[in-house]
Amino acid sequence: MLLDFDKLGLWKWILSAICALMALFLLLPILFIVALSFGNSRWLIFPPPGWTLKWYHDLFADPRWLSAAFTSAKIALVVMVLSVALGLLASLALTRGTFRGRAVLRAFFLTPMVLPVVIIAVALYAAFLRLGLNGTFVGFVIAHLIVALPFSVITISGALETFDPSIEDAAILCGASPWEARFRVTLPAISHGLFSAAIFSFLISWDEVVLAIFMASPTLQTLPVKVWTTLRQDLTPVIAAASTLLVGLTAILMIVAALIRKGKSR
Amino acid sequence: MSSPYLHINGIRKTFGDVVATDHVELEIAEGEFMTFLGPSGSGKSTTLYILAGFQDPTAGDIKLRGKSILQTPSHKRQIGMVFQRYTLFPHLSVGENVAFPLRVRRAPQAEIAAKVKRALSLVRLDGFEDRMPAKMSGGQQQRVALARALVYDPPVLLMDEPLSALDKKLREEIQHEIRRIHQETGVTILYVTHDQEEALRLSDRIAVFNKGKIEQVGTGPQLYASPATHFVADFIGDSAFLGGELAAVASGRASLRFADGTVLADVPMHGTGSAGGKASLMLRPERIELAAGPGAAGASLPVTIEDVTFLGNNSTVSARTGWGDVLSVRLNFGHPMMGQVQRGDALHVRWQPQDAHVFART
Repeated sequence: MLLDFDKLGLWKWILSAICALMALFLLLPILFIVALSFGNSRWLIFPPPGWTLKWYHDLFADPRWLSAAFTSAKIALVVMVLSVALGLLASLALTRGTFRGRAVLRAFFLTPMVLPVVIIAVALYAAFLRLGLNGTFVGFVIAHLIVALPFSVITISGALETFDPSIEDAAILCGASPWEARFRVTLPAISHGLFSAAIFSFLISWDEVVLAIFMASPTLQTLPVKVWTTLRQDLTPVIAAASTLLVGLTAILMIVAALIRKGKSR
Repeated sequence: MSSPYLHINGIRKTFGDVVATDHVELEIAEGEFMTFLGPSGSGKSTTLYILAGFQDPTAGDIKLRGKSILQTPSHKRQIGMVFQRYTLFPHLSVGENVAFPLRVRRAPQAEIAAKVKRALSLVRLDGFEDRMPAKMSGGQQQRVALARALVYDPPVLLMDEPLSALDKKLREEIQHEIRRIHQETGVTILYVTHDQEEALRLSDRIAVFNKGKIEQVGTGPQLYASPATHFVADFIGDSAFLGGELAAVASGRASLRFADGTVLADVPMHGTGSAGGKASLMLRPERIELAAGPGAAGASLPVTIEDVTFLGNNSTVSARTGWGDVLSVRLNFGHPMMGQVQRGDALHVRWQPQDAHVFART
């Protein structure tokens, strides 16, 4: 290899240092908030003078936090299911179809990734005002589905592209009807893509805050919205505890996604 | 007249303006090993896909035991197929791959177990049931694919260049296995390949495809000894072609005039042509003799030796005719001329009249 890492000499150390600094830059705020959630100061002081689990007690004792977490989970689960189902159908059309304008359609499906989220939020807010969907569960699901779908389409069509359609033909000649072949052969063979799409879709909805702020009502709030509104009223370390739990679940799901990808490449 | 086992009846398939196959007509007997041989784009694979039901013909019919199968969807045709690419189901073990056709047919568990074991044993992969396809070599994967295609005793087995991804040595080994499996099971096989050696080694009969049409159907020796067209003569075996002009044509025999005025009379003629048309004289290298002068019997031409290449068990001699065409002559090891022929020698090539063929060129 032209750029063999072991033969870079001094550059090896410089590159390693840059990587370490990047990792620190990304991780420090998270470590900071995790540390604060266990600190016994009421004022978010760093480093904390002592340690406590009080803020977690407060968090779980407050039904508003729990209801926000429950709302978040419900929305994320529904978004996950719909995003994988629609993403699978769209990906089948994009990878197997031979119709005109396929490339344009694919690019169109990916626009929510590049469009500023706040613009989607304002547009949806305006549209939902007429439809009466603001502050409703359905409104949340639609809003999050829009930003989750591109990730589903990317991962599932990626998996479908590496799956040789001849394998489906072979299943059909073996006696399986076309739909049976898809269910018994194609879907299991791209299951790693479906799982990744599910995890990413869940996470996108679970972590999303901009759209959620626009959609939220006093009675229907997701966890990130609750964190944000609480932060504006009161700088309590309970926020740090809630954030830590959010990060924790995200980290676990990311690790699961990475393991699925590793299992697939084995 | 009894109807043939499998009858490909005037199949024509067009994609827009492109004609993929044009009136393909073929009768295949039960238990026969029939190979479709031809270059890529000659329509052999299209014909196979139509049999499999992946494509519908524009015109024509396919009858199995006298009944048309074109209205039957692919998954109900009961046809077995081994593909060019590896098509084992990646998430299933070898045993489950082979069991798949039986499972979709809702066969009882005991029957599945027994048939899977028998099919794997047929391809010499006993005990591989629990192996995953990704952990197997290409040759093993194609053998599992063969077991999967045979496990439900299909009336016809289609094979679409199944060995083209394998290296030469492995290919020969599996050709051997396929031949043995054909003999043991007696299954009717339609095999597609562009490799003439593979076709000759495996088949009972070969259908030579060119530009969407079958040029000739016959056993290997028939195609080699009496090719019907220039294309077949060129595609099967080595051959030398000398270009000339038809001087006279009468009842399957022709006189051919070469550029230097030499005329060869009374040569067997294939295809249609009339005096004045272009034609080629075809000779097999092992049928040409090298001699100092013209013989008493048979045909001969004066040549100048261009080059001599020693190849172990034989030497190949390039000889140039008076008008500039080059033909190669094979001298087996131990031939009296071997070691004596040299560049620039003026000699004669001789052959028996029945070994030459004239093909009209269009």
